[in-house]
Amino acid sequence: MQGTTWRWITILALALGVLVAAGCGDDDDEGAGGAATTTTPAEQRSFAAGTTMAELQEAGEIKIGVKYDVPPFGFKNPETNAIEGFDIDIGKAIATELGVKPTFIEAISDNRIPFLKDGTADLILSTMTINAERDEEIDFSEPYFIARGRILVKKDNNEIKDVKDLAGKEVCTVLGSTYEETLKKQAPTAKRRLVDTYSECLELIQNGAVDAESTDDVILTGHIIQDDELKLVGKPLTTEPYGAGLKEGDTAFKEFVDETIQKFKDDGRWKQTYDKWIGRYTGEDQEPPTMTLKEAIDLTK
Amino acid sequence: MSSFVELLTENYGALASGFWVTCRLVVGAFVLAAVVGTLVAALRIAPSKWLQRVGGVYVETFRNIPLLVLLFISYFGLRRAGLPVNAWTAGIAALGLYTAAYVAEVLRSGVFAVSRGQIEAALSLGFDQRQTLRRIVLPQAVRTVISPLGSITIAMIKNSVIVGGVVAINDLLKESRIIASRTFETEAAFFWAAAGYLLLTVAATVAIRRLELRYAIRR
Repeated sequence: MQGTTWRWITILALALGVLVAAGCGDDDDEGAGGAATTTTPAEQRSFAAGTTMAELQEAGEIKIGVKYDVPPFGFKNPETNAIEGFDIDIGKAIATELGVKPTFIEAISDNRIPFLKDGTADLILSTMTINAERDEEIDFSEPYFIARGRILVKKDNNEIKDVKDLAGKEVCTVLGSTYEETLKKQAPTAKRRLVDTYSECLELIQNGAVDAESTDDVILTGHIIQDDELKLVGKPLTTEPYGAGLKEGDTAFKEFVDETIQKFKDDGRWKQTYDKWIGRYTGEDQEPPTMTLKEAIDLTK
Repeated sequence: MSSFVELLTENYGALASGFWVTCRLVVGAFVLAAVVGTLVAALRIAPSKWLQRVGGVYVETFRNIPLLVLLFISYFGLRRAGLPVNAWTAGIAALGLYTAAYVAEVLRSGVFAVSRGQIEAALSLGFDQRQTLRRIVLPQAVRTVISPLGSITIAMIKNSVIVGGVVAINDLLKESRIIASRTFETEAAFFWAAAGYLLLTVAATVAIRRLELRYAIRR
């Protein structure tokens, strides 16, 4: 009796295993097929052996660290579970230029620089502001977007109209972002509440645990898209040029990324992408940034 | 090594304030856990079946929900429900109530470790139920549980990092992460965070050790 039971269990387990394996197989096929049609051009550009580009082509993929919770730059589409956004489209453009598959991994503000250094990511596209301190650690591409620092409050908040009104108030921002310093300088008596992700800031401002949130306008716009009970106030606190993060000292790879981004700006794809992710919601028009990396770094000195 | 010392001297204020925040968090949660844990243990060994069940429900609830989830409930959840708890209250409550479940279980096991024969002996010598509990059972129970209570305390000190992360208060780990993200001296920043936590856990270990030497039953 017991022998038969065990035999049945074994057969069932095997059947299940086969089903699961088949299911996974299907997924893989679809994934590879989908990626192949969208990202692999007919002919791969060839690069000198030993360069990062050649190595990435050898590997067949480029690992790109992006945000998963910052619409409209990098976020998980709740319906399809795909990672989408402005940063993602730039990442895809770079992968297409290389002729490899882009693999997006989550890189929050606090771990993105370590990810680049230890090789977890080949490239970082995560709403990262170019500044002098970071430039010591990693290399930046030329700026691909210019954001401005703003303040977000609830619509019914009439107390906070500008950065000076933040005095003594609780202000949320993300650990490892530039706003920790900005707030310290521009609103020294504000109580800074630091969390790991912008979605946590959104939660805290929604439930009233903090009075305001300060970060890049585009990220804050993303919050307003999610919750229209919020509004932007005050004049811009800062200018935040975004750059792609690259491993320090890899000049050839930096040149390649710069060139790809320039092409992206010149051939109209930048504007298309801007309209798709930002212009559509803000109703504003914007030209691709012309600021150079050097100007961006000088801003923060 | 000199960069480690430099980082400490340059960021001493921030690290010290983080250490202080962690201390307050841990002490607050410890007091809450001790009080609630004792009450729940009392329920668990109460003569009434119903009281025992209430204690059991408490223990199973708080022991089976991950601390992170408890924190989300106590801070985000209660605020969403319209109860304006502040970060400190939510943090201390979640950590304290979570730890209390473990404290209660340990205290209960201590009471059950006192042999049935002793209780019968006490009763036959004319002690009533309450006297037996106070004079015979509890003194021995408390002594057997000193060491496991120490383990719980140390676990609680380490669990406090989860609290700082969720309710956004600048505890020791958060301060060192801020320093790491500003200076990129990740190793040095986390080294001093580890040293700070070690200071707390070693202090707890020494305190427990002394209590044990003084009160524990030698077998």
